[in-house]
Amino acid sequence: MKKTIKFVLAAALLASTATVALADGAKIFVVGGKADDPFWSIVKRGAEDAGKVVSAEGGKVVWLAPQNYDNLGVDAAELIRQAIDQKADAIVAPDWAPAAMDPAFQAVKAAGIPFIVYNAGGIQAADRLGAMNYVGAVDYLGGVAGGDYLAKAGHKSGVCVNSLPGAANIEDYCKGFGDGIKKAGGKSDVLPLPATAEGNVTAVAQAVRAYLLQHPDVDAIFATANLDAVGIVQGIAQAGKAGKAHLCGINFDQAILAQIAAGTQDCAIDQQGYQQGFYAVSILNGYVNYGLSIPTREILTGPGVVDNTNIKATMAGAKGGTR
Amino acid sequence: MTAGASISSNLGRLARRPEAGSLVGLIVIYIFFAILGGQVFLGAPGWSSWLNMAAEVGTIALPVGLLMIAGELDISVGSVLPASSLTVAILSGRWGLPIYIGIAGGLGVGLAVGLFNGLLVTRTRIPSLILTIGSMFGVMGLTLGFTIWIAGSTGVFIVPDPLTKTLLGSALGGMFQVGIFWWAGFVVVIYGLLHLSTWGNWIFALGGDKESARNAGIPTQKLTIQLYMLSGFAAAFVGVTQVITFGSAQVAAGSSFIFNSIMCVVIGGVILTGGAGSVIGIVLGTMTFAIVNQGIFFSGLDPNFGSIIIGALLLTAVLSNDTFRAMALSYVAKKK
Amino acid sequence: MNMINAFLRRPAAASVLSLIIVLAFYVLIGGVDLGRLAGAASWVNFAANLGIVALPVGLLMIAGEIDISIGAMIPAGSITTAILSGYYGLPIGVGMAGALALGVLVGLVNGLLAVRTTVPTLIITLGTLVGMQGVVLSAAVLLTGNASVALTSPDWAKFAFGHLIAGSYQVIIVWWLILTILFAFVVHYTRYGNWIFAMGGDKISARNAGIPTRGLTIVLFVLSASCAAFVGMCQAIQFNSAQVSGGMGYIFNTIVSIVVGGVLLTGGFGSVSGIFFGALTFAIVSQGIYFTNIDRNWSNLIIGVMLLIAVAMNEAFRRRALAYSPRKRKAA
Repeated sequence: MKKTIKFVLAAALLASTATVALADGAKIFVVGGKADDPFWSIVKRGAEDAGKVVSAEGGKVVWLAPQNYDNLGVDAAELIRQAIDQKADAIVAPDWAPAAMDPAFQAVKAAGIPFIVYNAGGIQAADRLGAMNYVGAVDYLGGVAGGDYLAKAGHKSGVCVNSLPGAANIEDYCKGFGDGIKKAGGKSDVLPLPATAEGNVTAVAQAVRAYLLQHPDVDAIFATANLDAVGIVQGIAQAGKAGKAHLCGINFDQAILAQIAAGTQDCAIDQQGYQQGFYAVSILNGYVNYGLSIPTREILTGPGVVDNTNIKATMAGAKGGTR
Repeated sequence: MTAGASISSNLGRLARRPEAGSLVGLIVIYIFFAILGGQVFLGAPGWSSWLNMAAEVGTIALPVGLLMIAGELDISVGSVLPASSLTVAILSGRWGLPIYIGIAGGLGVGLAVGLFNGLLVTRTRIPSLILTIGSMFGVMGLTLGFTIWIAGSTGVFIVPDPLTKTLLGSALGGMFQVGIFWWAGFVVVIYGLLHLSTWGNWIFALGGDKESARNAGIPTQKLTIQLYMLSGFAAAFVGVTQVITFGSAQVAAGSSFIFNSIMCVVIGGVILTGGAGSVIGIVLGTMTFAIVNQGIFFSGLDPNFGSIIIGALLLTAVLSNDTFRAMALSYVAKKK
Repeated sequence: MNMINAFLRRPAAASVLSLIIVLAFYVLIGGVDLGRLAGAASWVNFAANLGIVALPVGLLMIAGEIDISIGAMIPAGSITTAILSGYYGLPIGVGMAGALALGVLVGLVNGLLAVRTTVPTLIITLGTLVGMQGVVLSAAVLLTGNASVALTSPDWAKFAFGHLIAGSYQVIIVWWLILTILFAFVVHYTRYGNWIFAMGGDKISARNAGIPTRGLTIVLFVLSASCAAFVGMCQAIQFNSAQVSGGMGYIFNTIVSIVVGGVLLTGGFGSVSGIFFGALTFAIVSQGIYFTNIDRNWSNLIIGVMLLIAVAMNEAFRRRALAYSPRKRKAA
């Protein structure tokens, strides 16, 4: 017993003191959403694909994500600080919760590490924090695009289904949807789901169905998660409102594209998460290694609207896990 | 003894059954939401709405309830559900294998996890709460890792053939999902097992006192393993119906079933410390839970209050169960 | 040899060993640079936030109970502080007092229900968990119209509860150390600690022996809810904002830390130092993966496996500890 302990300790000590050859390339830390989030897994894919170039040049891309969305701003701020502690050459992070995360960004700036704000915060955040650039869509605008699309198609009484009340990005979607539909002359409401419905597509379907039955004039629905969109279509059908209630949602995958092709869903808002990860990492890699930069401030990757007019092209990407 | 006295003593006996509390609770809750929800809630749309929800959580609550009667817990059901959905979607959706292979794969995952849980619970002294939390994390990690590795994304898509869709994923009249009938079937089977067979007696004995049950010759280890495999199977079954119904499976699904199923069981009068409970009680508890969850959306109440109402309901239900149980235990038949 | 054996018999032994194994795993398989890991604050911050809640919940588990409502009490504490002092502009002292008072209140509800009824505490605290989730959401949305509330705190509050030492270490670490020492003293050097162990062993016997089990249970529940609210309060002050959430993640993390720390779920066995190391171990497992080359997708698998290994080790060590009897000196 004593011998094994001694051996383990010695091995650990040896391994830790073994010096790793200093990499020539850039160590880029990317802070993103949790690993089982359908949207963020695509962003991660984009970052990792750009990471192939980074690795080829002797660097690496490290993905940092919180365990869950229970405390988004706090967890993300801590991850940013961790990136600083790990001597990052460059950092990519979203500004989900400015009140909680700005001090962390300021620490990045103070440490002299180049960074890009992506996915949330907009160019205002990038300017305010002194970031190199902003890459991405803005969640709020994604919601606005959805509300706008549905209102312009004549569906003016809307509801935004929020299955994760509290998470900053989802709240932004619903706020954007409400503003978008109001601007085009409609009205909107929010349907928050209790924690007992989390991760349960049937619960979402039944909740939406009940809501539609109690609010018969609602004809525009906004989904804020992939699985919700699939559930809501069933909910609409079971409420007998197929064809009368129209659905638009954030992000898409094969199932959602199939719904759009079949006509049960009207549109999906494309944030092009792959591009967010890909470009943010690529720009920083070029900067750290060669001093290159992109002068264009604000590189928007969305919101794009996918509906049955442009669906064919997106299907291949969805199958490949890049859209 | 006069007829009146015999009726009242019968009623008294009835009132002291553990399910009585759950039945009263169910009726009160239903009337409450019927008043608020009006015509729509009382009609078929209302009924099918909460029955659809009840069917899923009820299927899982049955074996979870059996485990609780036997004195154990199973937290891993929350992760078995998406694991099974994704297995079906990957096998039959992505790889194009016949649907029965996909379904067998999904159910097999549930049985395998159940076997793992059962073996570890019986072979080691690790408490089931901790063990199943560990297996929950493990299955979550495996599910995410394999799904991304195989499919490149966190969700997988499947188009089930019409026959499978009718059997497992359709809705009668567009409203009552087939899952309700599968649930009813499970209820009948589990009722028969628990209340009409020796197997059921063994479960009660197990929950009462494991050592005594063992000494009485009951194969406690085998029984525990069977129960865990049953709960894994049930969670996997709900995963299968969900993916067939909705055509899509996601990694981040199923977490709410863990505590929801426990709530249904407890509202239904099953004592957490084991040894008492009934299938009828679990079914009533499931219905009560589903009515509260769905009723909120039919009523004019602000959905933000939803969780408060559910929490208050849970506490009220267990407190009233507690009172009923105390009454039942203290009931002494009136001497002639 | 004797010293090592004596160490292995302590409840905390398994958690320290788990820590070493996890570190070895990350270093050997994951390619972690130990120096860099040691210098990083992220896992220490994580451990402190987790550890403060794990202490009283761990004591509850030693006493044979459990409290899962802490999951909702952490966001409840931060939202209360933020709404009172951020949204309504009341002095920060009021916000802080409000958060702690809420903790006391919920703890009293839990405790009273626990002692007055025969309902198991898992179910009671499940009910308060769900209820508080709703309260947090409703309060935030109905009072402020937002699911997150901003807060600015005066310097003294920030210094005491919400600033970063050396730029990375949250000051809550200091509070964690203070609380750990306090709890360790009370549990291992006063009779209250004996009472807690006695309760976990056999509550009825403890009662018959004259231990005020009811009062002690209520005190423990109040402590756990308040500590959770305290953590939330510090987070609100540190990060200038509070967010609504269901808090489910905290529950499993806390239980895993406590069990890895050697506390027996059935009660009656455990130690404060074990809980301390358990929180550290869990923090390293969960945050350390970011220092490795291992794909994040497998992180839950690692947590699950580590939990099972740690608990199995706990069991093995405990049996050794309980079976130990000093060798009798051979008669001359």
